[in-house]
Amino acid sequence: MPDKTQKDKEEISQEGLGPISRRDFAIGSVAILGVTGSDGASKVLAQTPGKAAGQALADSRAITAQPASDSARSIKLTVNGWKYEIKVEPEAVLRDVLREQLGFLSVKDMCNGYGACGSCTVIVNGRPVLSCMTLACECDGVTIETAEGVATANPKLIDAYVLNHCMQCGYCTPGFVVTAKALLDRNPMPKETEIREALGGNICRCGTYPQHILAVQEASSGK
Amino acid sequence: MKTLNKFAHINAKSVEEAVAALQKGKSAINAGGTDLLGTLRFEILPAYPDVLINLKTIQGLEYIKEEGGMLKIGALTKLHDIAGNPMVKSRYTALAQAASSVGSPHIREMGTLGGNLCQMTRCWYFRKEDNRFFCLRKGGKTCYAMSGENRYHSIFGAVKACLAVNPSDTAPAVVALDGKIKTSKRLIEAEKFWDMAVPGSTVLALDEIVIEIQIPSPAPDAKSGFVKFALRKSIDFPIVNCAAATGKGNARICLNAVYNKPYRAIKAEEAIRGKKIDADSADAAGAAAVADARVLPGEKNKWKIPIAKAMVKRALLACA
Repeated sequence: MPDKTQKDKEEISQEGLGPISRRDFAIGSVAILGVTGSDGASKVLAQTPGKAAGQALADSRAITAQPASDSARSIKLTVNGWKYEIKVEPEAVLRDVLREQLGFLSVKDMCNGYGACGSCTVIVNGRPVLSCMTLACECDGVTIETAEGVATANPKLIDAYVLNHCMQCGYCTPGFVVTAKALLDRNPMPKETEIREALGGNICRCGTYPQHILAVQEASSGK
Repeated sequence: MKTLNKFAHINAKSVEEAVAALQKGKSAINAGGTDLLGTLRFEILPAYPDVLINLKTIQGLEYIKEEGGMLKIGALTKLHDIAGNPMVKSRYTALAQAASSVGSPHIREMGTLGGNLCQMTRCWYFRKEDNRFFCLRKGGKTCYAMSGENRYHSIFGAVKACLAVNPSDTAPAVVALDGKIKTSKRLIEAEKFWDMAVPGSTVLALDEIVIEIQIPSPAPDAKSGFVKFALRKSIDFPIVNCAAATGKGNARICLNAVYNKPYRAIKAEEAIRGKKIDADSADAAGAAAVADARVLPGEKNKWKIPIAKAMVKRALLACA
């Protein structure tokens, strides 16, 4: 996984978030989970380069990691290029595993699990899907991309989102970004109608819809 | 977000394995999961499955092909893939249009044709969390919509006293295109596939699984179209939808979300038979389609009747 660009770092510190982004924090947490999960709860095959500060913060997250029961099943996932082998309960949904177990905090939950808002969207084997309506145990062997991965895979899209002010409260934004990335992967030069249609399942309470179209147009290779 | 209650999980490797698991009882099958997981999360049904059977691990149920004079679509084929398939779009237009109007893009990337045809009603009494209304459709004795809020309910009367409507978008397209549904046990004409069941909306036995959807290849002059009225364009269930298929001077017209099962508008088909489809003849067919419509006491669902009429008209004009 490529490291954060200098530009990204500058932007983050300019925004007053300090040197540790939520993504670094999440990655640090995963590394710790790999250790605390030695009872079989979770194991990270490819150890992530967790940063010291992230590790210090991660202790509080490690408490939330539930030890696996007898019914848990082992699955392999590739998330944003990282390989994981974890144990999940049959009834665990992908959204909870990505967010609570692996620390990908971009995976949101706005509609309370009705599959109606798109804020938990992740790309699974190239398809943008609702992770709240996907069982984790049915995802053995799949490749997943979350908004954290989009930030490195398509920084142009993230820049376009920032420059076009696509967020107010920002809660729905990761879902939009992931859906937009999936669209651009399939269709690098989408028409406006195609962008509107592709983003139709992502709901924004603040009403930022027109800005998303501008951002995706700007990030598409046609402009 | 509420976590799901415990269940055991089986990744079925074959239809036979899935059927055998279903025969043990207290189980449910999962294809796309977009409806099932919500149903389980909010515990809308009185019974919760002990075992969930994943069908996605069965190989060879995801395909779109023309073979032996018919279109064959595997039950696990994603709605997104059907909506975008050039052959389905050009020759079985109503089905492609119907598939493209289901839910949201995400739902179509996950949801399957088999699942969309079998989905359960959206009646808000049936769907209320924690089995709040133990209605007829769950084995209870009362249809709460009869005396309650029924603005989205049937305009063609009740079936076994249930006023709920079938919410599927692809169902009317498959009926209009004279399709058949192949299951693990038999081949069922699309028109006879739906019925009021407890719970459920099809004639499928408890251990029966949809395998394939078959649609006869259209005649050279045949056309088809699908229209939908919903409150939100980008993600919503239909208030009323309609598919029409024409050819050789005949038309097959099917409305949905107006009755307990997809409603074939026979009177509209008779009204348009042999006539050139234009605004006037399509309008007359629309009027014929709702000639038998009945407003429920309180008239809360009266508004659906002119919508159904307009949907029939527009579906026919899409075939002109």
